[in-house]
Amino acid sequence: MDKLLRKKSNIILFLAPAFVIFSAVLIVPIITAFYYSLCDYKLNSAPTFVGLKNYITIFTDDPDMKIAFKNSIFFMIFSIISQLFFGLILAALLTNIKRGRDFFKNVYYLPCVLSSAALGLLWYFVFHPKYGVNKIMENLGMLENANEGTLWLSDTSGFIILPIIVISFVALWQYVGQSMMLYMAQISGISKDIYEAAAIDGCSRTQAFFRITLPLIKPMMATAMSLNAIGSLKFFDLIFSMIPEAMRGKGGKANVIATVIYDQGLRFNKYGYACAVGMVLLLMCLIVTFLINKFVKVESYE
Amino acid sequence: MKVDFDDSMVEKNKGQRQAVKIAIYVLLSFLVLVYIVPLLWIVMSAMKPNSQFKSAPWSLPTGMEFGNFIFAWTKGHLGNAMFNSFVVSTCTLLISLAVGSMAAFAIAKLRWKMSKLALTYFMIGMMIPIHCVLFSLYTQFARWGLTNSLLGLIIPYVAFSLPITIYIMAGFFESIPNELFEAAVIDGCSVPKLFFTVGLPLAKTGFMVTGLMSFVNNWNELLFAMVFISDDERKTLPVSLTKFVGPHSTNYTQMFAGIVIAVIPTIIVYCIFANQIVEGLTAGAVKG
Repeated sequence: MDKLLRKKSNIILFLAPAFVIFSAVLIVPIITAFYYSLCDYKLNSAPTFVGLKNYITIFTDDPDMKIAFKNSIFFMIFSIISQLFFGLILAALLTNIKRGRDFFKNVYYLPCVLSSAALGLLWYFVFHPKYGVNKIMENLGMLENANEGTLWLSDTSGFIILPIIVISFVALWQYVGQSMMLYMAQISGISKDIYEAAAIDGCSRTQAFFRITLPLIKPMMATAMSLNAIGSLKFFDLIFSMIPEAMRGKGGKANVIATVIYDQGLRFNKYGYACAVGMVLLLMCLIVTFLINKFVKVESYE
Repeated sequence: MKVDFDDSMVEKNKGQRQAVKIAIYVLLSFLVLVYIVPLLWIVMSAMKPNSQFKSAPWSLPTGMEFGNFIFAWTKGHLGNAMFNSFVVSTCTLLISLAVGSMAAFAIAKLRWKMSKLALTYFMIGMMIPIHCVLFSLYTQFARWGLTNSLLGLIIPYVAFSLPITIYIMAGFFESIPNELFEAAVIDGCSVPKLFFTVGLPLAKTGFMVTGLMSFVNNWNELLFAMVFISDDERKTLPVSLTKFVGPHSTNYTQMFAGIVIAVIPTIIVYCIFANQIVEGLTAGAVKG
């Protein structure tokens, strides 16, 4: 029996297809992308090695990247904090009720499975200066005329421009269900005995939440926060579908890292540069994940 | 549990608890509105003629009109795009399930020294943002003539679905007791037969969960689909939708119909399989 399950030929037979596809389409391209990032590589020309030139341009000489870093890091911080806060509140509320729990849970989770592109377009119309929320404000008498209302998605004043803030709220709306679900899974795994013992000792429900629930779900907090961080650094679909083209291309104020990659690669065919930006993104994801896991996942209690 | 309270305290607590409960339900119901109203608004507006939408965008539609949907489906190429998305997502699902579950079986049930290492190797894929490989893969596929074809989209999608598929399926195989396999081996079962007759039937839930997840993810994928496919005929649903809906046109209600067409299939799938999808996505994230 043992011999059969140890037979090399069987192992190779079962593992090979996945190994080949995965390596050829993900691992090898990562390595070539790293090489291209050190090259001057444009359409119709072979890559020529230029060392760190692309990286130096990214950090010192590209105004688009400066804006992209600013916006992406804002997205990341906003999404980590807001999702942690609202995700925890929703999870705590839902684990405390019985009736309708699945219904609420499924409704809040719904946007996570829908296409961000389609939802972005939907919200684009909700924030349309003429027909969306501005029209509601006009109907309610808060605005004289919808046309004079706030330009939600094209205002460009301020350090963090309004469209970026609007989109971060839309992203919160779309993805908070994910965080909620992770926390709920963890909370419902905590033994009821602990809460009963605490109640006997005179612990109120609020106290129980802060003293028992929070410490016990800390490992999950690290997981959820890293997921949010990576997700928001990669952010592309919502920006692409909600922001007018002029604001997310070259010189646009609403650029994020992913839109720069798209723009440099597809519009200007500067593949080497696009790969370098991709490498920076990968590095940022790894650093943030590392930091979160180092500082949040202090110890596991169970 | 039994705790001694005097009667008045119990009464007071009961009333308070009731009030808190009502407050919670009010809050949760309000949030449901925040989630449902934007979706309903789009559906309602899609049934209006454009002129009616422009004069009163937030009013109820006066009748049911399907002209907008027909326009978006045919002239907006969304029908065609949906077919492409269906082909791509289904092929990806079948291939990644087949290939992924085999690898997961090898990792979880076959006995070799490096199985843990192999799992870690595949898990690297979960940490890599696909943006990093976008253009190195694109230039490679362009050389091979794989860009602008659905196959060129299916291959990377399979690769991106593999880590999560392998992770979840390995978990399911792991949970099957070894005795079942041992019994089959004593009966003279070969390893491939073991996989098909013992492993697969017992990991049915795993298939369901990973399959739905990979389907939903690939159905919604935008960036790769946009870069890899330039031919209108072969574009997938999210790409055609972003092309059809945009500032170029002022016929809003037709665009709304387009958005509705794009989200309806996922909503239907979600309504049927909500619990499995939720379970799968959570299981995938909890790799701890």
